[in-house]
Amino acid sequence: MMSDTIPKPKPRPAPESIPYWKAAHEHRLSIPKCDSCEQFWFPPSNACRHCLSPNFHFEDVSGRGKVYSFVTFHRVYRPAFENEVPYVVALVELEEGPRLLTNILGVSHEDVRCEMPVEVVFDDVDEDTSVPKFRPASRA
Amino acid sequence: MNAPHIVPSRELRDTCAIVGTATSRLGRVPGVSSLDLIVEAIRNALDDAGLKASDIDGVLCRGPDDSYSHHQLVAERLGVNARFGTTLTNGGASQIMSVALAVMAIRFGLANTIVCGFGRDTWSRTHKSEEARVKNETRPESMLAREFGPEYGYFGATAAHAFGATRHMHLYGTTRDQFGAIAVAFREHALRNPDAQMKKPLSIEDYHAGKLIVSPFGMFDCSLRSDAAGAVIVTSADRAKDLRQPPVLIKGFGTHNNTRGWFQDDNMVVTAAKQAGEAAYAMAGLGPKDVDTAQIYDCFTYMVLTQLEDYGFCKKGEGGAFVASGALRLGGALPCNTSGGQLSEAHCEGMLQIVEGVRQMRHTYPASRQVKDAEIALISGHGGNQVCHSTLILGRA
Repeated sequence: MMSDTIPKPKPRPAPESIPYWKAAHEHRLSIPKCDSCEQFWFPPSNACRHCLSPNFHFEDVSGRGKVYSFVTFHRVYRPAFENEVPYVVALVELEEGPRLLTNILGVSHEDVRCEMPVEVVFDDVDEDTSVPKFRPASRA
Repeated sequence: MNAPHIVPSRELRDTCAIVGTATSRLGRVPGVSSLDLIVEAIRNALDDAGLKASDIDGVLCRGPDDSYSHHQLVAERLGVNARFGTTLTNGGASQIMSVALAVMAIRFGLANTIVCGFGRDTWSRTHKSEEARVKNETRPESMLAREFGPEYGYFGATAAHAFGATRHMHLYGTTRDQFGAIAVAFREHALRNPDAQMKKPLSIEDYHAGKLIVSPFGMFDCSLRSDAAGAVIVTSADRAKDLRQPPVLIKGFGTHNNTRGWFQDDNMVVTAAKQAGEAAYAMAGLGPKDVDTAQIYDCFTYMVLTQLEDYGFCKKGEGGAFVASGALRLGGALPCNTSGGQLSEAHCEGMLQIVEGVRQMRHTYPASRQVKDAEIALISGHGGNQVCHSTLILGRA
């Protein structure tokens, strides 16, 4: 089988993160925010990670953040990524606080830096699924 | 957010000793299951102690991730009923945790003599076929995150730890040359150890020539895939006096789990070794300046560097300069992983660090392998999803 015919793994959401992926499909980045302490957290879960309150909602966030840390994959762990190496996986810290794993697009892997300002873009992997990724911020 | 400060009791200090220790064959041991490897190590450890399996009344071990209630399988093969037994699942932090549990159980009368061990057949499982290799590159399917990782091409422990390395390099100017100094030092130690898996010298040029895996890690930053098992036998310091080997006292231990997550707070640059170490030092009544040799959990080079900082052997951010000074080599300021570590001896999830710590405290090595006049050894275990940590401090009786 040619590697470009092997699909990349699609997210298989846990029940608690279905709203996150639904929003992503509409090109919105939306994460849980506590109704009690008003803090955001990620990944989604059914109680606030700060105060354990069960009362929360998903709220759209700015989509802006900075690279907290990153790595560059040179080794092919799954055949679907054979044509991608070397590629960057980054941990982005959102302006709102939470950090999320993602890819950084639109920049050579050699030019990614910690603290680099980034903004969200949505990769439409198929009709049903859009995956939030990041690119260098258009304004610093 | 922070729980009240606690000080571990010094009541446990020096109450128990390690009276037997051994490994199985290490490296490539085809055709032998992890279960048979651990039984081999335990049999060797009993011989070392001058004990029989029937003297054992406790069994503590970690199993492979897919083994249910693994200590039952081990005890069954040893032919013993265990007064005290369980299977630990803190990854590479489990092995020291099992010694800590043994001390508590013995001190409070739940058992007399407990074997703690771990065995794995990783080399055989991952190299017997290409299919097996691919399957074992990552965690078992049941443990895979189904989102927030695989869709970005994020797989495996190498990448997880590499995030910490990148951040440390950013904050403190740490370099791959400094990571390389760790790999080179441990390889030198392995070459003095006839049982070590790696037999060829490694220069800093070889280190840099190694292919990149998940940068900043190249192949020589990564620990080995090994068939390996190790075991230690713990009993009361009183009973230890009548046994064959010079007893090695358990002076202190501590644990900490940064279970908020590796990606949270500053956990990837300040590990749970900090709190686990503080607890162990407090129990032992010792500090980093008292430690003569360190056997540090070296799944990746960077993890040695950051733990040395967290244990207080140098300041946070100065680990790079510390390891580049030659401190870790035999004859250096803090001889570290003196049997070669998981980077060059064999990877047994921290079990061999305990074995080596015990052996250094016995002073039975030839001069070429002995840390001269070593009285205190600090041993670390790290694992789970990068956040579980345990610390053990041993001393000569």
